[in-house]
Amino acid sequence: MDRTAADSGLRRDQNILLFSVFAIATCGLVYELVAGTLASYLMGDSVTQFSTIIGTYLFSMGVGSWLSRYIEDHLLRWFILIEVLVGVVGGCSAPLLFLLFEHIASFRIILYSLVGITGILVGLEIPILMRILKANLAFKELVARVFTFDYIGALIASLIFPLVLVPYLGLIRASLLFGIINVSIAGLLLYRFDEAKPFRRSFSVTIVASVMLLLVAFVYADRIMTFSETLAFQDRVIFAKNTPYQRIVLTRNNRELRLFLNGNLQFSSADEYRYHEALVHPALHSLPHAQKVLILGGGDGLAAREILKYPNIDSITLVDLDPAMTRFFSSNTMLRRLNHDALLSPKLHVVNSDAFNWVKNSHDSFDLVVIDFPDPANYSIGKLYSSAFYEELHHILRERGIIVVQSTSPYVARKSYWCIAHTLQASGFITVPYHAYVPSFGEWGYIMAMEQYTWRTDNPLPTGLRYISNATIKDMLYFPPDMSELPTGINKLNNQALVNYFEDEWAPYIH
Amino acid sequence: MNGPHTYTDGHQPARRTFLKQIASLFAVPFAVSPIAACNTSTDNRHITGSMAGANAATGHLLRTGNFPAATKTLDTEILIVGGGATGLSAKRWLEQHGQNNVLLLELDKQPGGNSVAGANSVSAYPWGAHYMTLPDTTNTDLISFLRSAGIITSFDSNGLPVYNEYYLCHDPEERLYINGHWQEGLVPRFGTGSTDRLQTERFLKETERLKHAVGNDGQPCFAIPLDTSSADEEYRRLDNITFDQYLTENGYTSRYLRWYLEYCCKDDYGSTLHQTSAWAGLHYFASRKGRAANALSSAVLTWPEGNAFLINALKHQAPDNVRTNMLVHNLELTAGGVLVQCYNAASRSCTTIRARKVLLCTPQYITKRIVGTLQYPASAPSYAPWVVANVTLDRFPASSGFPLCWDNVIYGQESVGYVNARHQNLGHLPGSVVTYYLPVTGDDTLASRRSIRELPYTHWRDRVVQDLEFAHPGIRHRITNIDVWIWGHGMVRPSPGYIWSNARQAARQPIDNRVFFAHTDLSGISVFEEAFFQGVEAAKKILQTS
Ligand SMILES: Cc1cc2nc3c(=O)[nH]c(=O)nc-3n(C[C@H](O)[C@H](O)[C@H](O)COP(=O)(O)OP(=O)(O)OC[C@H]3O[C@@H](n4cnc5c(N)ncnc54)[C@H](O)[C@@H]3O)c2cc1C
Repeated sequence: MDRTAADSGLRRDQNILLFSVFAIATCGLVYELVAGTLASYLMGDSVTQFSTIIGTYLFSMGVGSWLSRYIEDHLLRWFILIEVLVGVVGGCSAPLLFLLFEHIASFRIILYSLVGITGILVGLEIPILMRILKANLAFKELVARVFTFDYIGALIASLIFPLVLVPYLGLIRASLLFGIINVSIAGLLLYRFDEAKPFRRSFSVTIVASVMLLLVAFVYADRIMTFSETLAFQDRVIFAKNTPYQRIVLTRNNRELRLFLNGNLQFSSADEYRYHEALVHPALHSLPHAQKVLILGGGDGLAAREILKYPNIDSITLVDLDPAMTRFFSSNTMLRRLNHDALLSPKLHVVNSDAFNWVKNSHDSFDLVVIDFPDPANYSIGKLYSSAFYEELHHILRERGIIVVQSTSPYVARKSYWCIAHTLQASGFITVPYHAYVPSFGEWGYIMAMEQYTWRTDNPLPTGLRYISNATIKDMLYFPPDMSELPTGINKLNNQALVNYFEDEWAPYIH
Repeated sequence: MNGPHTYTDGHQPARRTFLKQIASLFAVPFAVSPIAACNTSTDNRHITGSMAGANAATGHLLRTGNFPAATKTLDTEILIVGGGATGLSAKRWLEQHGQNNVLLLELDKQPGGNSVAGANSVSAYPWGAHYMTLPDTTNTDLISFLRSAGIITSFDSNGLPVYNEYYLCHDPEERLYINGHWQEGLVPRFGTGSTDRLQTERFLKETERLKHAVGNDGQPCFAIPLDTSSADEEYRRLDNITFDQYLTENGYTSRYLRWYLEYCCKDDYGSTLHQTSAWAGLHYFASRKGRAANALSSAVLTWPEGNAFLINALKHQAPDNVRTNMLVHNLELTAGGVLVQCYNAASRSCTTIRARKVLLCTPQYITKRIVGTLQYPASAPSYAPWVVANVTLDRFPASSGFPLCWDNVIYGQESVGYVNARHQNLGHLPGSVVTYYLPVTGDDTLASRRSIRELPYTHWRDRVVQDLEFAHPGIRHRITNIDVWIWGHGMVRPSPGYIWSNARQAARQPIDNRVFFAHTDLSGISVFEEAFFQGVEAAKKILQTS
């Protein structure tokens, strides 16, 4: 090799190294911006999030620089190794943070650890690089060039992050893409430097594996979102569907089927009979002459199944908002077995409509109205528990008719439960509160409402019930002190008192 | 868009819902196209819609003044010109008090004026006024109208009105997008500092005091209708300085508080802190003393179609002899009464109307042209133009923080946010219509109004999308239609010195007990209560002079 050739080889090597300074600076800042943005999205208060993350990052870089003094030789080897690590840790940070947000109590610890590790690794790189380049450059040249590229890299990162990365790629893909760039640079260095020969083979494997990992995550970035949801279910998801109104998920293990609407458990096939027997029989067995029943909500057909056990009933109207729900429960074999084909019964008539307006505009009348809405967890469902709604029920209730309302847990949400009772009373009904124990839900509450007190507990019940007997009914009426009545407001359209109680009472159980 | 806002603590969203909302935030741009983002016109091409409210063209005929000769003549006892809230309130009052020969002429194809509404398959929606606050119980004329319209259903044992719960704004009422997050309530709280909170509390405490303050004449210092407010100079002199000056003099420096107060001025008056008199600025907070058996005094009444509900109720109670498409362009006094010329924009013909008395319920810049040679001392107030857009969505995107409310405001924007027209609907629908409001706060000049009018539809469409995208990334893909309405003279501005000026009083004086004047711009604050008061007072004057 003659002199000039050797020189130009060196210059090229130098350029590659300087280019990697630039790339490291860009990637480092991108990770930091990703973490800052994600933290402000997830936890709010962007000013605090950004400043603590930038602080942690800069401080960790300092730690990294200081640690670099302990690295004595094999500089290139260290450099490549660190480069791979930065790529993997930084690249995976956004998807990891997304996945963990829901599951880790101390999310902040993970967040700052990731930022800290990335900072330390980036902080290690620049001093090591300067030491590699020291052999070929005068000190003042060296400092000038390294820092120029470092700062240009930072500038580029700060420009492309808001203009290109976030809008076009989103945070998860942006973070992964820069991870891939980091690792690729490690690969490039590995092949351009002869000194890397001894460890080329073993490093290649690591690099290829890392790039694959990041690439797969990149391609499946969208799925990561969905996965973070499936992790929330213990069992195998056998059906999942987004309808315009809700997300329906059915899971299964060898004991039971479970139905979730918007992530909230609706029933488990193992003990739903308790819930539905308790919903229907106390009211219906006391109405031996009842003929017409209205079910609001209850698109699963399980309340209908119980109602059909009374031969005197000749018509059931089931009003459920979501056609996907009633279709699902009248076509899926497992579910049809569960509801005994109730939705296909000639006595049953399904209306897919919104319950409030349906009731308001209905000219029909019923002996029993079963209200099986989801819990009042948001404002649009809260309206279906309001005094305005209950007042509308008077005109569709036959004389001596009964209404029964599923009313959340009087144990977990004691105020919510009694608020429903008081709202029914304020709307002109006499109420009979009762509760049942359903293992997968815990203590569950119901309220019967009627215009005159005509309810009886001792009429005959259909045969074959597994939970309800005349004795059970009497039992269910007793409220121990930890669930007993307490004063509450009335749930009205213009205060939605119930949603606020419900949110407060259930919040500790949701996290 | 509301009366004084309550200062409540928000709720922390549950982590899980929050995560899902964020997921959708990021998923949307991907799901729809790999290259989403950048708010360019091409991205919005899928959105249909057009400019609505084309009556400006007919109105402008007034300026050119070329009308064909009259081919018909009509006689009436009393003629009302202008079928806005003021004109309809006057007509109802006259008819309920024994006048059965009243004719009302309205230029537009439907009555309502600034309180008109539209509708599509998703919802009815307002084009202008969309709510009213609870009136003071001493405002008996208005209370009895609300009772007769079924808005008040009964009175409790203390005589307090019980409002129809379907019409009281449902909870949750309002939220603010600030520092990247939706908070409950409009008073900035999320990410603000302690000085901001202290100053806000001090301000609200002061206005609470003013609410109960009584002047040296025994009248409340700030009342609705505003003409019933005290004449005490200590308070009235606040009308001569700007609200901005008042805030500076009283040490209110917090930018969040000032933003909030400016938002309130823009929302109710279409004007900035500099354009609003301190009296009017305080009036917003200190005048609303409504009481109800079943609501707080800060409650508001609202309907999917906005105040068009009130317009229909007024019209329902005095349904006959309302003629639309009628532009009144001239009047003169004659021996027996008043001779009025009007042009039918539909048939392009003119009619002469002989009336004994005429009540002009038109804004003064129009009144001035109609009265022609009569000496009418118009008080020439300033008006705020408004741009209103009704935006149809096939689904409402999830957002981070407090959920969708009736009134949704984005901190720091020129627009005062959007109102969900389906909020009062009881049913569930994935889609909605939201009404976006943008007050144009520049100087009130012909040139600036013209420049707004000349901007093409696509300009406003893109503007609306851009403003909404700020708080709802990806929302453009959920928007199917945007219609836009421009109000050249949307609202009278309570500029410093206007409300308690002699000019305002002079412009309300009848001419020769034959021509009478009423309009919200003669009050200085453009709200339904003032329109109703203007109409009723003028009607009473007419009845007295009969
Ligand atoms: C965007 C916007 C939002 C608003 N929001 C609210 C709100 O939420 N709550 C509230 O209380 N108020 C609101 N207002 C104020 C609203 O203007 C008043 O509530 C009220 O509707 C004013 O009624 P008016 O009759 O005094 O005037 P206008 O509504 O101006 O009525 C005048 C009428 O005269 C007609 N007319 C004009 N010239 C002629 C002519 N030559 N011949 C015949 N007819 C003629 C017009 O077409 C019009 O119908 C809002 C206003 C705007 C612009």
